[in-house]
Amino acid sequence: MENKTKEFKHLEKWQKTLANCIRCGYCYEHCPMFKYTGWESDAPRAKIITAFGLLSGEVEPSESVSQKMFSCFYCKRCEAACSSGVALTDIFTDAKKDLVEMDLKGPGTTSTTKLTCARCLICLKACPHEARSYDGKNIVVDPVKCQACGICIEVCPAGAATIQNSFGTDRNMLMDRASNFFSTHEAAKAIIFACNWSYYPDLQASVLPDAETRDKNYEILVNMCGGRLEPQLLMAPFLYNAWGVMAAVCPEDKCDHKGNVRAKKTIESLKNTFKSIDIDPERVRLVEIKAGDKAKFKAEIDTFMDNLNKMGPIR
Amino acid sequence: MKTIDEEKLRQIVGDANIKTDPSDLYIYGSDSSVHHAMPWAVVRPKTTEQVQAVMRYANENLIPVIARGGGSGMCGQTVPVRGGIILDMKGMNKILEINLKDVYCRVEPGVVDDDLNLALKPHGMFFPPTPASSRIATIGGEIANNASGVRSVKYGATRDAVLGMKVVLPNGDLVNLGARTRVEASGYQLHKLMVGSEGTLGIVVEATLSFVPIPEFRCMGIANFNTLKDAGEAIGSIMASGAIPSMLELVDDVAIKAVNKTMNLGLKEVAAALIFEADGMVREAVDYEINKMKAICQKHNGEDIYASYDPKERDKIFLGRKSLFPALSKYDDNLASTALADDMAVPYSKMAEMAGKIHEIADKYGIVMTAYGHCGSGCMHTKILMDTKRKDQWESARKAITEVYDYVRSVNGTTSAEHGIGLSKAESFKIEKADSLHLLALIKKAVDPNNILNPGKLSQAPEDWVTATNLRYSVNS
Repeated sequence: MENKTKEFKHLEKWQKTLANCIRCGYCYEHCPMFKYTGWESDAPRAKIITAFGLLSGEVEPSESVSQKMFSCFYCKRCEAACSSGVALTDIFTDAKKDLVEMDLKGPGTTSTTKLTCARCLICLKACPHEARSYDGKNIVVDPVKCQACGICIEVCPAGAATIQNSFGTDRNMLMDRASNFFSTHEAAKAIIFACNWSYYPDLQASVLPDAETRDKNYEILVNMCGGRLEPQLLMAPFLYNAWGVMAAVCPEDKCDHKGNVRAKKTIESLKNTFKSIDIDPERVRLVEIKAGDKAKFKAEIDTFMDNLNKMGPIR
Repeated sequence: MKTIDEEKLRQIVGDANIKTDPSDLYIYGSDSSVHHAMPWAVVRPKTTEQVQAVMRYANENLIPVIARGGGSGMCGQTVPVRGGIILDMKGMNKILEINLKDVYCRVEPGVVDDDLNLALKPHGMFFPPTPASSRIATIGGEIANNASGVRSVKYGATRDAVLGMKVVLPNGDLVNLGARTRVEASGYQLHKLMVGSEGTLGIVVEATLSFVPIPEFRCMGIANFNTLKDAGEAIGSIMASGAIPSMLELVDDVAIKAVNKTMNLGLKEVAAALIFEADGMVREAVDYEINKMKAICQKHNGEDIYASYDPKERDKIFLGRKSLFPALSKYDDNLASTALADDMAVPYSKMAEMAGKIHEIADKYGIVMTAYGHCGSGCMHTKILMDTKRKDQWESARKAITEVYDYVRSVNGTTSAEHGIGLSKAESFKIEKADSLHLLALIKKAVDPNNILNPGKLSQAPEDWVTATNLRYSVNS
């Protein structure tokens, strides 16, 4: 393979690192995109291979390359788990910078704003990454800064903020999955919403036999960031007679998106609403889980389910 | 590039299950090996019927087909050296049945090893091959490679756990091989032939696998040695003594230094360490095995011998071995850890000599090589650390590998214990199997007369992998 380094002034410095990635592929396990689509081209390794190809000249910069490079929720799980110590998301960001200069701007998971935007500018303040600005006419999103946490989507009163390809983390998709769980599982009692950091889900890319899952009484749905837990989503399972809803978020000092603080506020107000209508507020619970603390996550779910069993269904 | 009828493939698997954009093809042209080549299309079948239809189309049009699981292969097994269609089998990911009465499970090929084990765990069972890549490796890939891992010394490799399978042949026909019973005496045991065939004979669309109970007790021990010879002799003595370790691993001084240097673990820098484990349902029986191994280590001048049942202590003992991969990757920013000549096996009595030989050859060629591995099953791993940009380093690596394999064969060892042959190891494989290569060719010809299944691999792979295949690294000329 001939070395044909092109104009990638940001990506160029990673050349050695890109060669040092042993391409073991263990990052798949951690990537919500790969888990959602099942395509290797959506996994972190694919972006590393693509970045390598861009530098070597074997991959032409294109819309398709750009879609891949801009599709990342920056949960950084791949990075934390990488055995070669590859700074994956820094590489993605640098690749994005170079692609933007070639006028290839994703969008992938970059948030955008639809025409229905009322210019209330709430999203500017809410964005933890300073990716949103107002040019006097429209909201402008910096595709390099945007980390697709989706908080803009949850704060937008007009429903104008959106992510084109949400890889299953869109509110409606999550609500559909919750509904589907309750309609297919007689024993269903609860939904556990988990941010992608607090939940260490293993790969779980395989489908279990019916007999193994028939009696399942809770479902875990990954919603990327705790900051995206808004009341409509949290209440949705109760429409299907859920006994309770638990939310797992990362601890405040570990959250890159200020999602923990937002989640706490949302859950607190939901608890108050429950109290006011005489429903036990403990049916909604928030837990903080450090990344990778699988044991605590499982223990919290067990405790929550025990409590729900004591409370019984909502009458 | 030969043209493929993309529309035809779309009709078979649907628009959502085909990729033909060059940026996707480039990604699917790689695995965990040093090789790269471009496929013509990536197709993700969801059913056996779709696999059959793709195979019929490919066979009629003489298009290569390469089945792919997790893409974690280390020797280029799924790199499409002659182009063609990559069959991404991860789309067939159902665990079809866990039959506890008859002690087998049926799975589709895209089921991930760890997922299967997660499903078996509530029943107190596990699927034993457990390669290090079990988190992404699929059952189909494990069958194709006859994968194994740290516990193979007691529980065997994938081949030992496969009872039967459904296979789509190159002409699209579906055959049932093996049985759902523990034993099957008659015939050519074609299901076992499929194991390790690296996708050159058929596409596995369903596998029937046995599983075993998770042991109640696990005890792990460690012993340090001041010479590789002592450690090697201890391995031989343990295996010859009738002891049944559930794990027996060797870590050499290069590996220990690498772990200390990069992870700051503060391990004692001795010539070699042995990590051993016994498991079972009765603690006394585990004690018996562990004591036996401890005594043998002591007899062979082992020091700091220590064993524990406590999971935290066990993790501590295993940390050095577990940290080895990251340590080697981070050993030196200018050196990449490459998967070359990485899983040979030699008779137990030659383990120490083999490790010594690896060091000697690495010194001779100015590259860094380490020796470690599942010595209880005779498997020795090594990684070659080199500056992948330098052409001369590739030449040195190639010479070193040739010498390593010359030694392996001279002591009646084998080229690959668990990672397979693919492209990188064909040279030694062909020499090792010289007198039976024609039989392999006859079998291949009988099953796949048009040579469309993973062509150019195993016995068809080029001897000179450095120049005859496209390396995935940028090498300065």
